[in-house]
Amino acid sequence: MLKDKVKQKIAAWQKKKEYEKKIAELKKRDPFTYKNF
Amino acid sequence: MIKLGISAFYHDSAACLTNGNIVIAAAEEERFTGIKHDSSFPINTIKWLLRSTSTKISDIQEVHWYENPDTKDDRVKTIFNKRPIKTFFLRQRYNKDKKNNSPEALLKKLGYTGKIVYHDHHYSHSAFSYFTSPYRDAAILTVDGVGEWETTTISRARGNKIEKLISIDFPNSLGMLYSTITSYLGFRPNEGEYKIMGLAPYGDPSKYFNKLEKVLDNTSNKFYLHQKYFTWEYSDKIMFNKKLCQLLELPPRLPEEPLTQEHKNLAAALQKLYEREFLKLVKKAKDLTGSQNLCLGGGCAYNGVANSLAYTFFNSIHISFAPSDAGSSIGACLEGHTKVSPYLGPYYVNDHVRKILKQYDSKLMYSNLDDKKIIQKTAELLQDQKIIAWFQGKMEFGARALGNRSILASPTDPKMREKLNYVIKKREGFRPFAPSVIEDQASKFFDIKESVPYMNQVVKAKVDFLPAATHIDRTCRVQTVNKEQNLKYYKLIKEVGRITGIPVVLNTSFNLKDQTITISPKQAIDRYLSSDIDFLVINNFLIKKKHVKR
Repeated sequence: MLKDKVKQKIAAWQKKKEYEKKIAELKKRDPFTYKNF
Repeated sequence: MIKLGISAFYHDSAACLTNGNIVIAAAEEERFTGIKHDSSFPINTIKWLLRSTSTKISDIQEVHWYENPDTKDDRVKTIFNKRPIKTFFLRQRYNKDKKNNSPEALLKKLGYTGKIVYHDHHYSHSAFSYFTSPYRDAAILTVDGVGEWETTTISRARGNKIEKLISIDFPNSLGMLYSTITSYLGFRPNEGEYKIMGLAPYGDPSKYFNKLEKVLDNTSNKFYLHQKYFTWEYSDKIMFNKKLCQLLELPPRLPEEPLTQEHKNLAAALQKLYEREFLKLVKKAKDLTGSQNLCLGGGCAYNGVANSLAYTFFNSIHISFAPSDAGSSIGACLEGHTKVSPYLGPYYVNDHVRKILKQYDSKLMYSNLDDKKIIQKTAELLQDQKIIAWFQGKMEFGARALGNRSILASPTDPKMREKLNYVIKKREGFRPFAPSVIEDQASKFFDIKESVPYMNQVVKAKVDFLPAATHIDRTCRVQTVNKEQNLKYYKLIKEVGRITGIPVVLNTSFNLKDQTITISPKQAIDRYLSSDIDFLVINNFLIKKKHVKR
């Protein structure tokens, strides 16, 4: 049970890191937003 | 009274010249600069307007600006003040841009010191839509990313009066939501939205609908977006944060990554959600006005699939030829109804074309035919499955090529779509092409409620022999063509119908990958030479590459 929970936590953490990496990469692309200012 | 109408600094900058309530000429700045959706002050367009109409800057009595910079400034400063530290550098940049983008200062540089009239952003959308419509009473629904504060408005129009009834303000924006998921799927916002529309029929909306729906707060009557998923208020780099990724349980796609079924499913869910929310607004417009007629405006009025759903509540729908910000340069000038065609841009006489052609003697062969012969010959070539670049008369205003700057092909050849996408336009294979059809025969081939002259409704094809111009779900963004609209194009399609029995041609804009629509004969020739297009027709000149067998 505990092992499963740890596995889930690790998987969620890995996904979070993947999302952060992708977002950081997209931010480098210019311009990747709708101009609203 | 001669007026200069201007829209600038968001996207699709444009300018027009009107006299009384007549639109004399108009164009988008991107056509002159080659920068897609160019948002800069439309200096090249203004210079062309003055030059081509022999108007002096001193002849202009009023300038009509499509939005109110003070109200926009209020919105931007208000949202910056919510996060003063996070937006510090953004604010510096904004202030610098504001100083450089002052309409008064820019117009003064051109020698204009007269009156400048500022209109609300969504009023300009409404006016363009309603005053170019055939209605004398209508509901008007405008939906876009954002104007000053407003992102959506519903108005009632009667005679020459437009009365705003309700509005939704930033950051609650259906347009921004669509753009966010566009960027999430690796396409450029404010450009790739139509790719999402094209992708949606390949997906299963149910996979992501329930997750995506959670960005909306459905507890109140108003359209409300949970801002915890979005970064519109403090970032000019990206539109979403990792909370949206966690909600969707899907990593965002980088532009170079392959499109997977999951991406298609998300596109389908977004389109479904958009349609649901759009339809709620349409119903509200009906309830508030009781009108049978609906005018749609704002950039979201390019969503042809959703537009067609508005017939659920209205008998008649009008969407003008440039519902996004470009059209607002015209809307800002109009005080009443006007008959205006989308063919408002530069045109070139045959002598000019001949001069340009002489510069390409070593590469091109050409013949100058009369109207009847050029139409006959082009129709025969289309029947022979040739791809024709068709350059005629005045350039269209708005995002659609409507038969004057078009690439034409046979809609019946099943391989034509792949050839055009991969070989000619070098773009994604899922993207559909549009059919142009003779108006009075359109209902034989398409399930249409009324004429669709500007390609802004997606309808079902009734027949299965137009595979190149219909999408995977047998829908298409049809253009109906009549004599009054575009006589030469009408005659061409009619001739195609006479030869083949099907008065339909495949029509896509005359541009190659990442290019703006072709503006001049020289550009047309250069693009023709750099592509695998079989023939080029400029006015009455039939042109072919010297190495191509006829």
